[in-house]
Amino acid sequence: MPETTQVKLPGLDCGLCGFKHCEELERELVLRPELLKRCIQVSDDRVSASASVSGISGNASTAPPLANPAVGTRPRPNKLPPFVDTLGRDFDFYLEHFPEDPGPREIIIPHNPMITRELPVKKGDILIGRPLGMSCGCPITHCGIAMEVDQRTGVIVWCVTGPLAPRAQGFKDLGYYIAEGYEGLITETKSEVKIGCRYYFQPRMCMLQWRHSGLVNFMNRTPSGIQVRVEGLWIG
Amino acid sequence: MPDRIYFDHSATTPLDPRVAFAMNLANIEAHGNPSSLHSEGRQARDLVDRARGQVAALLGAPPAEIVFTASGTEADNLALLGAFRIGSEHAPGHMITTPIEHPAIIETCRFLEQSGVQVTYLPVDEHGLVDPDTLLKAFRPNTRLVSIMAANNVVGTLQPIAELARIAKERGALFQTDAVQSAGKVPLDVNREPVDLVSMSAHKLHGPKGIGALYIRSGVHLHPLVFGGGQEHGLRSATENVAGIVGFGTAAQLAADNMTDEAVRLVQLRYRILAGLQEVLPQAYLIGHPFKRLPGHLCLGFAGQEGESIRLLLSLDEAGVAISSGSACSAHKASEPSYVLLAMGFDPIRARGTLRVTLGRFNTTEEVARFLQILPQAVNSLRPVASYAGFTR
Repeated sequence: MPETTQVKLPGLDCGLCGFKHCEELERELVLRPELLKRCIQVSDDRVSASASVSGISGNASTAPPLANPAVGTRPRPNKLPPFVDTLGRDFDFYLEHFPEDPGPREIIIPHNPMITRELPVKKGDILIGRPLGMSCGCPITHCGIAMEVDQRTGVIVWCVTGPLAPRAQGFKDLGYYIAEGYEGLITETKSEVKIGCRYYFQPRMCMLQWRHSGLVNFMNRTPSGIQVRVEGLWIG
Repeated sequence: MPDRIYFDHSATTPLDPRVAFAMNLANIEAHGNPSSLHSEGRQARDLVDRARGQVAALLGAPPAEIVFTASGTEADNLALLGAFRIGSEHAPGHMITTPIEHPAIIETCRFLEQSGVQVTYLPVDEHGLVDPDTLLKAFRPNTRLVSIMAANNVVGTLQPIAELARIAKERGALFQTDAVQSAGKVPLDVNREPVDLVSMSAHKLHGPKGIGALYIRSGVHLHPLVFGGGQEHGLRSATENVAGIVGFGTAAQLAADNMTDEAVRLVQLRYRILAGLQEVLPQAYLIGHPFKRLPGHLCLGFAGQEGESIRLLLSLDEAGVAISSGSACSAHKASEPSYVLLAMGFDPIRARGTLRVTLGRFNTTEEVARFLQILPQAVNSLRPVASYAGFTR
């Protein structure tokens, strides 16, 4: 008799192994001893993240890198030291969105600017698209609301709002676009901000919390912070 | 147009018509206040008592050890804040939890920390599992409470609750588990497992929203958060939500009656989805433990598609499939990657690019087959990202 059949199953008949009764799994173990790992009560199975998982092919490149969070570590990225992004890189300031806007304000142009007229894009439309290549190379599909539309040049000013509105109301798909500029508010900075200078900065709502860089070409100091426009954008 | 496919049961479950019927009946026929002494009041009290027994039976507990709350979140708050007697002359102590708990626990812990309680967050492995040895090492002389969820809502991993609770008991600490995701799906017997506090929510098991419960082992004393008429053993004053409680009781009974059969069915559907994915999208990978997981829960990553989950989710939604994803750039929600996946060691981009498929009572084999037809089309619709990642089938 194979060794695995000598393992005593708990008799809970929980069904989590895919069999209705523990006895059924016990019988199956005679032919397929590997099924023992399906029993959550007796299995002490540990599977390496770089290995194939549960019948789904994987390879080293698809496996997540492992970290060892220390005991006592707070789970939240916002507890990272200030002015350091999630990849551990320094930056100069956080870029906040204007409080009256529904989200971060971006000046964008579709890779095919004609699509602005073809769709057509109008103020108030819900849009989705990804900022492919120059600039700024973000791998994330963005969703937002068109605030201003220039039908002649195809340039759109939108506020990025997240996926909830598109799901509820439908959306227009820009495909790929170039993020030409950001407008926002600086309320926290570790460096003096000067017009004409290039900075590393962290858009507060960036999903990845990666630093960006860009040239400040508009500044207006207000009681609530420094209003800026930043162009020439890159991630990193 | 075919019916929509709802695969987001970890978010919430559709109300079982039998539950709706029982609630309607309670609303129409038992309008009394359960605290009133007249017939109408006694009729409502009988319904509440019966439902309390049904919910208690899910855990093998005496009915008197169940306190109804307005949600699983409130049950978690009552357990943690009540154990530390927050709002009274509490003695700051120490508690142990994990970084992958539901916000109902994490945010309550943050509040406790502001109140002087020390909180240790145990590490988890790449599947989201807590190693009991790390719990052993985390105890301090003033550790009063251990809170570890029975099943994780994001990745579906089941914790070794019996072992963890035993360790806490041996060291004289209370053990609370958030069983909101697992109650009615995975057996939890308080006679076998020395848990002291168990949080549950009706709407995760085909019951109504707005009703939860906390199991409190006899002899465990909590401080109330809500003061008033002294309902629910003085721990949760307020006129009882009779129809909600009746709905919870009925839902608990239905789940208990059919727990094993349903687990087997959902596990088989889960394996069918995994096998189908292996065929059509070999780059997909499972996140969370391959076996120690909720029966109908899949958390999937798509190699080469990380960060594209919003578009994929929208595309599937358009094709008639409701699944769940991480949040996205939004002014309405803090822009953080999934803290659960970060704690499991995922980098920020992979912690974004996941989809959660969670099955429930009314899902069928046909729906799974249709989903497997739709999914590759949706993934392929991501155009160049898909083509360089090899999604050309």
